[in-house]
Amino acid sequence: MRPSFLQLTLLLLFFSLTASPPLFAQQTGKISGYVRAADGNGVLPGATVAVPALGLGANTDSKGFYTLPLPVGSHTVQVTFVGYQTATRSIRVTENSQTVSFSLEPASSQLQEVVVEANTLKQKFNSTQMSVDVLTSREAKLLPALFGEVDLIKTLQLKPGVQSGGEGSSGLYVRGGGPDQNLVLLDDAIIYNASHLFGFFSVFNPDAVHQVELYKGGFPAQFGGKLSSVVDVTQREGNNEKIQATGGLGLISSRLTLDGPIVKDKATFLVSGRRTYFDVFTRQINRLNEDNKDYSPIPDYYFYDLNAKLNYRLSNTDELSFSGYFGRDFFTFKDAGFSAGFNWGNKMGALSWRRKLSPNLFATTTLSGTGYQYTISNNIDVFTFKLTSEINDVGLKTDFDLLLDGGHSVKFGAMGTRHQFTIGNLNFNSQDNSLAIEAGSDYEATEFGLYAGDDFEVNPQLSVNYGLRFSGFSSGGKTYTGLEPRFSAKYKLSESLSLKGSYAGMRQYIHLATNSGATLPTDVWYPSNQFVAPQRSQQAALGISKLLADGKFLLTNELYYKWMHNQIDFRDGANLFVNDNLEQDFLFGKGRSYGNEIYFEKIKGRTTGWIGYTLSWTFRKFDGRNGQEDINDGNWFPTRYDRRHDLSIVLLHKLKERISLTGAFVYGSGNAFSLPLARFPFQDVEGRDLEVVPVYSDRNSFRMAAYHRLDLGLVWKLQPKRGESDLTFSVYNAYNRRNPYFVYFDEVEDEQQQVPVSFKAKQVSLFPVIPSVTYNFKF
Amino acid sequence: MKKKLYLCIQLLSVLLLGACNLQKDIEVVLPAHEPQLVVECYLEPGQPYRLSVLETVSYFDTPQIPVVPDAKVFITHNGRQIELPFKISFDEQYQKYYTHSSTEIVSGKPGDVYTLEVWDGTGRRVTGTTSLLQQVPIDTIEWRYNSKDEAILLTSFQDDTNTTNYYRYLVHSDSLQEGTNRDIVTDDALVKGQQITFGSGYEFEKGDTLTVTLYHIEKKYHDFLNSVSNARNSNGNPFGQPSKVKSAVTGGFGIFTTLVYDRKTVIID
Repeated sequence: MRPSFLQLTLLLLFFSLTASPPLFAQQTGKISGYVRAADGNGVLPGATVAVPALGLGANTDSKGFYTLPLPVGSHTVQVTFVGYQTATRSIRVTENSQTVSFSLEPASSQLQEVVVEANTLKQKFNSTQMSVDVLTSREAKLLPALFGEVDLIKTLQLKPGVQSGGEGSSGLYVRGGGPDQNLVLLDDAIIYNASHLFGFFSVFNPDAVHQVELYKGGFPAQFGGKLSSVVDVTQREGNNEKIQATGGLGLISSRLTLDGPIVKDKATFLVSGRRTYFDVFTRQINRLNEDNKDYSPIPDYYFYDLNAKLNYRLSNTDELSFSGYFGRDFFTFKDAGFSAGFNWGNKMGALSWRRKLSPNLFATTTLSGTGYQYTISNNIDVFTFKLTSEINDVGLKTDFDLLLDGGHSVKFGAMGTRHQFTIGNLNFNSQDNSLAIEAGSDYEATEFGLYAGDDFEVNPQLSVNYGLRFSGFSSGGKTYTGLEPRFSAKYKLSESLSLKGSYAGMRQYIHLATNSGATLPTDVWYPSNQFVAPQRSQQAALGISKLLADGKFLLTNELYYKWMHNQIDFRDGANLFVNDNLEQDFLFGKGRSYGNEIYFEKIKGRTTGWIGYTLSWTFRKFDGRNGQEDINDGNWFPTRYDRRHDLSIVLLHKLKERISLTGAFVYGSGNAFSLPLARFPFQDVEGRDLEVVPVYSDRNSFRMAAYHRLDLGLVWKLQPKRGESDLTFSVYNAYNRRNPYFVYFDEVEDEQQQVPVSFKAKQVSLFPVIPSVTYNFKF
Repeated sequence: MKKKLYLCIQLLSVLLLGACNLQKDIEVVLPAHEPQLVVECYLEPGQPYRLSVLETVSYFDTPQIPVVPDAKVFITHNGRQIELPFKISFDEQYQKYYTHSSTEIVSGKPGDVYTLEVWDGTGRRVTGTTSLLQQVPIDTIEWRYNSKDEAILLTSFQDDTNTTNYYRYLVHSDSLQEGTNRDIVTDDALVKGQQITFGSGYEFEKGDTLTVTLYHIEKKYHDFLNSVSNARNSNGNPFGQPSKVKSAVTGGFGIFTTLVYDRKTVIID
């Protein structure tokens, strides 16, 4: 790739900034340390450490660690976190860095957690980082959910710039990117297919997860490998004081989490499980119909998740942690002489060692293994059929945090991953060996990255975060490398008005082979190689933030433009299941997406919530270069999730001490889709049934009706003798709107002669009004 | 009180029933459509030259067979041009209509090339070529029962190693006039040069008379059939992308191909 002018400029800026002597070095000092829960709930990622008088602040990272550059002098530092009492301490800041750690007492009021304040608005206003949203499990649990199944990923869809793939889908479409372009991390390890049941539920059990951070742009240099977003999910740490149980009984699933100390002040554990029980009911129905000859049994379906987290403090300077996840979905069907099974899921394990090398330098080294696999198997008589695809990674990465005098907070590190791909591995055999068909391709690949970035407060008005990532990928004798410049800046115009801007170059070396437009369990990952070049993107964003009513409200407006190159689609009718030459079916094109996002939020008080509005355009173009097939005659076409208007309003209101009400309203312009314009009759070799063959024209040239929906929720805190419990009521689609899921053309037949007399369009909806109740407990 | 409760239950059930009606008719306005010629022609040695020429219509037009009476049709074989005049006819055996036919019988040997030319008064023109393939014989047909006395049917034949081959496999119960039980269109990519077996589900009973047909087909016929099936499946599939029909003719839609097959009839005992 030839670097563009913008990239060269940024590169120059990178080196000029690193080379220049720090401004204002003589007046600035810095504090850093951990924020922990005094009740033993481990470190608190996402806590805010701030000096309200200066409007300066920082968030703790996923390890509960923060760094806050401050002018030399005495300051009142406030530490806040959802569900904990605010800690205030007076600190004298000198030119030398000093370690200041905090321990927060839990809030006494049971409903304290209704107050959503993971991030104070003032601190968000002051941050150099833009285009980021943070959501804690506690917040998500308050909001109404489909079937009462709390889902952090679906809650993220309520944020501006993020779209769902369709009704009930947990796929994320961020600023015009596809669901395969999200870097989904669980405790720093990749999760490849973060959904259950064809995307209706995400794999993150809200009891095991602490929070999720979503980056839509302005990506810091430590992230790479996907084009469109980073979904950084952090698991909860075990309680350090006592063993506790958390859980819930819901309409379709139950969950249970146990956590506590192994050795007090040294080691903690957390184990969590969740399982659905549709299959329990369907088995009963099947049993009742056993004698009915015409009855076709309902296949068994269930999914489960297991999460684990272990933390061990080796010394004051060293800490080890282990995170694990295992989840599976199962479909099974059995009849005389015939059985079929379909299962899929992720597995992940990550061992992390965090070491304080000096008061200013921290290192975190993580060894991780992650994988996704699906298997379809059929047995009929003497024949067995088995189809498997999988991806397995082993990765090692090390990240350094270096605090330098003069307001520099530097991050640098390196990562390497070994990928193993098994694509469409088919075994079709008979017992007598008269038949043996084998197919499938195996690939191996190495991905690596080196990065450095600096968050630098130039002066009280201007701060910049600039970085560079060098990434590479090698597979099948072909190696690709590239530079990914990252830059963001904030300029404070006044105490309540700031400007922000960012630019990020991204590369993606592995691709999802899908032509469904949605993520399905059968989608397979495919490496870049001599036939398939990496995907690339550049995104520029410009934002303005305004604090209103003395910091009670924050109004943010962000404009973005994203260029995407080497985008991937597939030939019409391409076989993505069993195809030893899949690369011949790839089509390459480009994409562009642009829009404006307005976000208005309030996070303190009895009534909290946000309003988000996005105006956006997303297009792709596949013009059939290199003799390939084109799509849409080589013209630009909108993607399915090209949504002109997207509005979400989320409100949480603490009605009484023990009752809170919540509501979420969403409105989105109709999805783009394709319809046949014409038809012709087809007799085939035998003419009995005249088939109607549809003739499609332009891709996605029609629009469905607008999507809108209101969800209502109520959380009622009970007063059990021991521990805590609540009943969470949810009504999904409260006014029972028939939202379009898909549209098709149907034949209207004359009942007597059974010949078609006309054709009409039909719209199918998925979910009517769905009430649900969930019982949650903790003791 | 009882009456109130009853009313409540009534109301609730009406609401729930209403809530479950998840499909409705909608109005869709389609842009104007320019009709194109659609040709469907299968040349089968021993049968007369015949085909149908129709045209595409806008999707919501009233259903009727869109014939094109002024279409001129010529097929050339071994340098000789045969004209197929417009004459609507019906074939009892295959329950098929033809718009153009000639009394001349199709003949030829494997490798022979046939060309098609169709045009009409509005200046539309469709052309195509096809060639006669070698027959692939069925080796064995066998069946096995499960515990419920339902039978599975297995048909085997040998694939040729030296060429890339495409097949269509049809099974008819009782007579050819009934619909097919099984219709498989495939290539030999995974089983090159091997003995190929086509199976079925446990769907047959003792005493069933089955007619098994194995067509050896051209790639363009294989692609056409698959694309027609994909296009039909994309209507009504929320996950599917629209699929274009890959015609085996140029200038319009349709298929022009030869038919070469082996056919066997068995009675399940």
